[in-house]
Amino acid sequence: MIHRKALTALAVAGALALSACGGGGGAAAPKKGEDKPVDSLKFYNDKGGWKDAFTQVGAASKKDIGVGMEPVGYSDSNTYTAFIRSSFRTKEKADLFTWHTGKELQDLVDQKLVAETTDQWTKAVADGNIPEQLKQYFTFDGKQYCVPLNAGYWVMYYNKAVFKKAGITETPKTWADLLKVADKVKAIGVKPFYQTNILFSFVWFETLLAGKDPDLYDALATGKAKYTDQGVVDVMNEWKKMIDAGYFSDPGSKTEPQAQLKNGDVAMENFGTWFSGNLNTLKMKAGTDYDFFIIPNVNPALPKTSMIFETGPVCSAAASDHASTVKKWTDWWVTPQAQTAWANSRGDLSFNPKAEIKDPGLAALNKDVGGDGYRLINRWFEATPVPVANKALEVFGAFVTKPGDPMPGLQKIQAEADAYWAKQK
Amino acid sequence: MTSTIERSPVKVRARSQRPDRTGARAAPLFGLPAVAVVALLLYLPFLWTTYVSFTSYDGLASPVWSGLANYKAMFSDPDLVGALVNTLLWVVGMVTLPVALGLLVAVLTYGHKWGTWLRLPFLLPYAISGVAVGVIWGFVLQPDGALGQALGFFGLPGAHTGWLQAGPGNTIMMIIAVTWQAAGVNALLFVVGLQSIPSEPLEAARLDGADGFKLFRFHLWPQLRPITTVVVGLSIVGSLKTFDVVWVMTQGGPGTSSETLALSMYKETFVLNDYGQGAAIALFLSLVTFAASILYLRYQLGDAREQG
Repeated sequence: MIHRKALTALAVAGALALSACGGGGGAAAPKKGEDKPVDSLKFYNDKGGWKDAFTQVGAASKKDIGVGMEPVGYSDSNTYTAFIRSSFRTKEKADLFTWHTGKELQDLVDQKLVAETTDQWTKAVADGNIPEQLKQYFTFDGKQYCVPLNAGYWVMYYNKAVFKKAGITETPKTWADLLKVADKVKAIGVKPFYQTNILFSFVWFETLLAGKDPDLYDALATGKAKYTDQGVVDVMNEWKKMIDAGYFSDPGSKTEPQAQLKNGDVAMENFGTWFSGNLNTLKMKAGTDYDFFIIPNVNPALPKTSMIFETGPVCSAAASDHASTVKKWTDWWVTPQAQTAWANSRGDLSFNPKAEIKDPGLAALNKDVGGDGYRLINRWFEATPVPVANKALEVFGAFVTKPGDPMPGLQKIQAEADAYWAKQK
Repeated sequence: MTSTIERSPVKVRARSQRPDRTGARAAPLFGLPAVAVVALLLYLPFLWTTYVSFTSYDGLASPVWSGLANYKAMFSDPDLVGALVNTLLWVVGMVTLPVALGLLVAVLTYGHKWGTWLRLPFLLPYAISGVAVGVIWGFVLQPDGALGQALGFFGLPGAHTGWLQAGPGNTIMMIIAVTWQAAGVNALLFVVGLQSIPSEPLEAARLDGADGFKLFRFHLWPQLRPITTVVVGLSIVGSLKTFDVVWVMTQGGPGTSSETLALSMYKETFVLNDYGQGAAIALFLSLVTFAASILYLRYQLGDAREQG
C-alpha cells in the first residue's frame, strides 16, 4: 500500500518537475500580464561596482515620485548576459535591466522581448532631455526601445605630475603635437600610452581609424567595407609603427590601468569618461592629479573632430507585470533632476545636457560635444557585430603583443565578417 | 524473499519480524527522492544539451535543427582545432609531469626520518584553489614579472621573455604552474601506496642485494601499480576539463593560442551566444572523458586482475 502511494506521489512530482522544465522558450508572443503597480523596482545590471550610485538614485526616485529602485548587480558581464537571456524563458520578467546597444539589443528586439519606448523618446527629445543624436542607437524599424543609462565620451586622461616633470606645459591640439608630447614623456623614462591585450585591445585601432577616416569606420561597422581594405591596413601599419617606437605600456601587464596612471608608469590613457570614477576611487583628484584632453584627429584635414562615444541602455522586458510603474520610473530617470543625482553619484557626466555636472572638466565637455565641432562615433565594441568583434579582439590582442604583418589577422577578421553578413541577408 | 539456505532459528525469527521486512521493501522508496533530484539536475539537462548540440540556438529564439553542423565546425574551425590540440597537450603534460614528480618525491622521502616534513612544501600548494594558482603564477610570468625580474637580477638571459605571450609556450608554462600545485597530492597518494606494500619481500630483496634504482624498478614500481592507476586516471579526467588556471592567466589568449576545449565551450556559449556550438563541445568533452576513463580503467584493472 505504502508502495503504491509513494510511487503515485513520485510520479506526480516527476510529471510536475518535467512540465516545469519543459517550458520551452519559443519566441511565442508574450502574454500581456495584468499590470500591477508596485512601489519599488528591481534593477538588474552588470555594473556591480556602481552599487552605491544605484542605491543613491533609488533613494532619490523614492523621494521624488514614490517609486524606489533596488539594484541587483553582477560584476561578470558574461554571467550577467547569460542570466538575462535565460530570464526571458521564465515567468520572472526583469522590470529594469542594463544591456548593450547594437547587435545585442537588436537580438532582443527581433524576438519582441523588450518594451517599446517610442512615446517616451518623442517627449524626452522635445523636452531637451535626450539629445537627438542618441536616438539612432535605440531605433529599430523606426521605433525606439529602452532609454539611455549613461553616456561616455572617449578622451585622453593624463597624469599631471608626469607632464610637469617632462616639461609639457599645454595639452596637444594636433596629432603631431600628441606625438611630440609622447616623445617628451618617453625621454623621462615613462611609457607614453596605455595599451592592453585583453578586451580593450580595440581602443587604439578605433582611435586611429576614426581619426583618420570616419566614413570608412562607419562602413566597416555595417559590412560595407572590408577589414582587408587598404585604409584599414594603413591604420594597422600606423599602429605597428607606434608600438615599435616604444610608445605603449606592456600589453600583458596585470596591473589595472587606473593604478598604472596613478603610479606614473604610464602618462596617458585613452578611456571613456566613466574612467574618472575609477581614478576618483584611487583618491586621485580631477584637475590636480589628473586631467583629460580631447584626442586630436590623425588626419588634420577632417572637418569635424571624431569623438568616440558609448551609451548603454536601460531596458524593460516586454511582458513585465509592472509596465506602468516602469514607465513612471523611466520618465523620471531622463529628467535633469534624476540625471544630476546619477552623474554626480559616480563623478561622471550624463546623456542629459541639462544635468548639472560637478566636475568642471566633464561639465565643459558635456556642453561642448553637443556643438557642431564634433562627429559622434559609436564605440567600435557596440558598432561591430559580436562574432566579428570577438574575432577582432583576438587578432588585436595578438597584434599588440607581437606586431607583425597585419594582413593575415585582418583576413581572419574579414572571414568572420563575411560569414556574419552573409547570414544577415 | 524465501531462501533455501538453512539458518539458525534465531535468525529466521529476526527476519520475519514485520517492521524489518517492510523496511527492506521500503528502502528503495527512500532512495527515490535522491534519484529524482539527480535525474532532474543531471540527466534532464544532459538530454537537453544533447538535443541543443544538434541545433542552431542563440538562447532567445527556439532552437533550429541543424544536424551535425556544430560537430563539423568543431573539427574544421582552426580555433577549435587549436583548442583540441592544446587540450591534448594538457593531457600529456598532466599525465607525465605531476605524476613523475609526485612519484619521485614519494620514493625519495619514504622511510626517511624527516619524510613528512620533506613532503610538506610539496603538499602545501594543493590547499590553494586553481584560480589562486592562476593569479600567483600570472604575476610570476607576466612580462617583467617576478621571474623576469629574477632572471634580470642574476644577469641571466630571458629576462624579457613574454612567457604567456605566444603558443604553445604559454600552455607549457601553465602546465608547469599546475604541476607545482598537483605534484604534492600525487606524492601523498604514492606514499599511501608505498605504505601498503608488505615489508617482508622488500627485506628479502634487500638481502639479495637489490637497492636504489633496482629495488624501485623491480619491486616498488610493480607493486605501486594500483595507486598509479588511480593517479593517472585522475590526471586524465582533470586535464581534459582544464579551465580555471587558463581563464585566469590568459583567458585563452593572446588570440586563441592557449584556449582549451573547456574554454571554447564557455566562450561559444556565454560570449558568442552560440549555445548549439557550446553544447556540441560540452558533449564531445563529456564523451571523451567518459570513454578515456572507461578504457583506461578497464585496461589497467583487467591487466591487474590477470597478474594478481
